Amino acid sequence: MKKECIAMLLAGGQGSRLHALTDRAAKPIIPFGGKYRIIDFPLSNCANSGIDVVGVLTQYQPLRLNSYIGSGLPWDLDVQNGGAYILPPYQIAGENGKWFSGTANAIYQNIPFIEMWDPEYVVILSGDHIYKMDYADMLAQHKAHAADCTIAVLRVPLEDASRFGIMETDGDGYVHKFVEKPQEPKSDLASMGIYIFTWEKLRQYLVADEADPNSEKDFGKNIIPKMLANRERLWAYPFSGYWRDVGTIDSLWEANMDMLSPDVIDLYDRTWPIRSRSPVRPPHYIGRDAEITHSIITEGCDIRGSVSNSVLSSSVTVGEGARIDYSILMPGCTVGPGAVVQYAIIGEGATIGANAAVGAPPNGKTNILITTCGPGSAVANGGVIPAGTMLYAERRDG
Amino acid sequence: MPDLHGIIYAYHSSSALGELVFHRTSASLPFCSRYRLIDFALSSMANAGVHDVGVIMQRDYQSLLDHLGSGKDWDMSRLTGGLTLLPPFGQHDSRIGEYRGCMEALAAERSYIADIKQSSLILYRGDVALNLDLRAAYEAHLASGCEVTAICTDHPFNGGGERIRFVPDSDKTANRMLFPGAENGRALCSSEIYIIRKSLLLELIDWCRSNARLHFHRDALAHYLESGAKLGYYIHRGYISRICSAEDYYRANMDMLDYKNRADLFPTERPVYTRVRSSVSTYYGEESSAENSLVADGCFIEGSVENCVLCRGVRVKKDAVLKNCVLMQDTVIGEGARLQYVVADKYTVFSDGVVLSGSSGLPLIVPKGKSV
Repeated sequence: MKKECIAMLLAGGQGSRLHALTDRAAKPIIPFGGKYRIIDFPLSNCANSGIDVVGVLTQYQPLRLNSYIGSGLPWDLDVQNGGAYILPPYQIAGENGKWFSGTANAIYQNIPFIEMWDPEYVVILSGDHIYKMDYADMLAQHKAHAADCTIAVLRVPLEDASRFGIMETDGDGYVHKFVEKPQEPKSDLASMGIYIFTWEKLRQYLVADEADPNSEKDFGKNIIPKMLANRERLWAYPFSGYWRDVGTIDSLWEANMDMLSPDVIDLYDRTWPIRSRSPVRPPHYIGRDAEITHSIITEGCDIRGSVSNSVLSSSVTVGEGARIDYSILMPGCTVGPGAVVQYAIIGEGATIGANAAVGAPPNGKTNILITTCGPGSAVANGGVIPAGTMLYAERRDG
Repeated sequence: MPDLHGIIYAYHSSSALGELVFHRTSASLPFCSRYRLIDFALSSMANAGVHDVGVIMQRDYQSLLDHLGSGKDWDMSRLTGGLTLLPPFGQHDSRIGEYRGCMEALAAERSYIADIKQSSLILYRGDVALNLDLRAAYEAHLASGCEVTAICTDHPFNGGGERIRFVPDSDKTANRMLFPGAENGRALCSSEIYIIRKSLLLELIDWCRSNARLHFHRDALAHYLESGAKLGYYIHRGYISRICSAEDYYRANMDMLDYKNRADLFPTERPVYTRVRSSVSTYYGEESSAENSLVADGCFIEGSVENCVLCRGVRVKKDAVLKNCVLMQDTVIGEGARLQYVVADKYTVFSDGVVLSGSSGLPLIVPKGKSV
C-alpha cells in the first residue's frame, strides 16, 4: 500500500556513554521525565504529524524495547494499513545476514521494508532526542524547495558548535557545506540528526555507499557529504523549540531537570500530546509528613519523605525522613527511610537502603558530579555512595 | 479458568447521589483519582480469567460507553465472547421505561442469558468498591455444592443503608435470609454479589415474570430458599464500600487516604484496570505543598493540598488552599481560592479567590462543568 511519507527510527545503538543505565536495555527505552521513555518523543511526534508507518530499527538489547513498542497502540499507531514495525537485522537466502554496521547500513538493509510502502519521502529519526516537532511542516518545506534532503537544524552558541555537525548555508537555508564537529565552526547551525529524504535519491546513495569499502556507512559522515559533493539539493529546516540529545549521564540529568520548567518545554500542552505505554497503577500518595516542591511525580508512587527539584517515574517509594534533591528516580525504585539522595540518577528497580547517602551537591569548587545507581542495583542500609560513582547491579548470571 | 459468565448491573443511579449522577450512572462514577466504580467488577472478573461479560445499562449511559470502549483495557475485546453491552431495547422482550427491579432487568436480557455458554454466572453490582478474589469465591461456590453462592462480609460495611444478611447453618452454607430491621445475631452481610447456576437463574426469571415479581432478594432468592434449598457463601475480608449517596461517595474516596484500605483495594496480585489515558506526570511547583493526598497523573499543582483526592488534569493555581476535597478530572482552582469539604465534578472552574466550605458529613457538591 502506498504511503507518501514513512519514518525510520534508528534505535539500535548501544548508548555506551550511559554506562550502567544501558547495560541491559537499549537507550531509547530509558525512562525520562517521569511518565516517559526517550522513544516516546519521536513516536508521538510521528503520530501527531500524521505519519502512521514507523520502522523501528533495533539491534542492541532489543527485548524490552520490542515489548514496549508492541503493536504501537499507545501512540495510536496500531492501524490496519500501517503501524509501528520492529526491524531487527535478519538473514537473507544464501547469506549469513549481518549486523547493522552504521546508520546508513541499517537503512540500506531495510530497503525492502521501505519499498513495501512505495514512499515518496522517508524521515530518518534517532531514538535519543527529546523534542516536539511537526515533521509534516518540515515535509512541506522539503516539497516546496523540491529538495533531495532536508536537515533539521538548531542554532547553538558558537562556542559549543564544535560538538555538533555544523551546516553552512546561504541566507535561504540552502546547504553548501557540512562539517562534522569542526575545530573552527563558521556557522552556528547544528544538525539535529533529523532528516527527510526524497526516497528515490536516498536509495541511490545508500546503494552506492554500501558498495564503497572506505565508507563508515553513516549518514553524517558519508551520505550527507557525498550528496553535497554531487551538488544535490540539501536544505536546512530551522527549528527553534526545545531539543536535547540525552546520550550522556550529564545530558540525561540536565534534560530531566529541564522538565521541571514547563516554560522550557510544555508537556501539558494537549494539542501535541507525548504518549507512552504505562502500567495501570493507583494514583500517587503523598504522606502526612511528606514535602514536595518543584518536582514531577507519577502514578503508583508512595512518598513519605521530602522531594525537591526531582523527577520521579511510576511506582517509586520514598520512605519516611528520606530526602531526594535534584535527582531522577526511575520506575519501581525504592528509597529507604532516612536515606539522602542528591544529584543522582537511580535506575529502574534499584534499592537504596535506610539511612544511606547517595551522591552529593556541588561544593562550589567542582562541577556538578552526577551519581548513578544502575537498574536493579542495591545500596545497603547506611551505605555511602560518593558523588560521581557509577554503580552497576550485581550480576547474577556470572 | 472458572466456568463463569459475568453480568454487571450498571443501569441504576441512586437518587441520593444527586447531581453526581445527572449525566452518568453509579457504575461510571469516578473514584480514587483515576478509576470508575465499574472497574472493580471488570477487573475482578479479568483477574479471575472471566472474559465474557455483559453490562446491563438503561439510561444516562453515554459516560459508561465512553469509558468501556471495546473492553480492551480489561482484555475483554475478544474474537469470541468478550464484553457485551446490554442497552434497553437490545432484546425483543425488553420493556419500555425504567427497570423497577433487578429481576425485571435480568428478564429483559433473558435471551442473552439463555445463550451464554458457561454454566454459571457472577451477578455483580456496578456500584461497589471491592477487590474480590473471584477465583477463590468460585472455589467456595464449587465446594458448597449449592446452586447459589453469596459474596458476604462478616462485618458491617459502609454505604447504601442496611444490609441483607444470611444466617449460616454450616461453615459453607446458609439457609436463612434476614431483611433490614430483622433481629440481630450472628449473620453475614451480603455484598449483593452472587454466583448462580444459569439454569436456576433462568427458572427464577421465569417464575418472577409469571408471578409479576421484580426483586432479586425479596422475590427470587426468597422463593429459592422457601423450597428448602441452601446457599453457599464466600467471605470477602478486605475493604468494601457501596456508593449510593453523595455522603457514601465522599467517605469512600476519603477512605482511600488510609494505606490499609488502598492495600486492600489495589493488591499487586490483582491489579485494578481502567481505561488508559496516556498523560503526563503531575507537576508540583516551587511554592506548592501537599500532604496526605492521592493525586492522579496530569495534574499541575502550584498551591497547597491536604487530605484531598485529585483526578487527572486538575489544576491548582498559586496560593489556593484545598482541604478535604475530592476533585474530578480537569477541575481548575483559581489563585488564592480556599476550598474545604468540596466534591467538584468534571470540568468545574473555581475563580480566583473563591471561598467555599461544606462539612465532613455534608460535602458541598459542585456539578459538572459549573463555574464558581
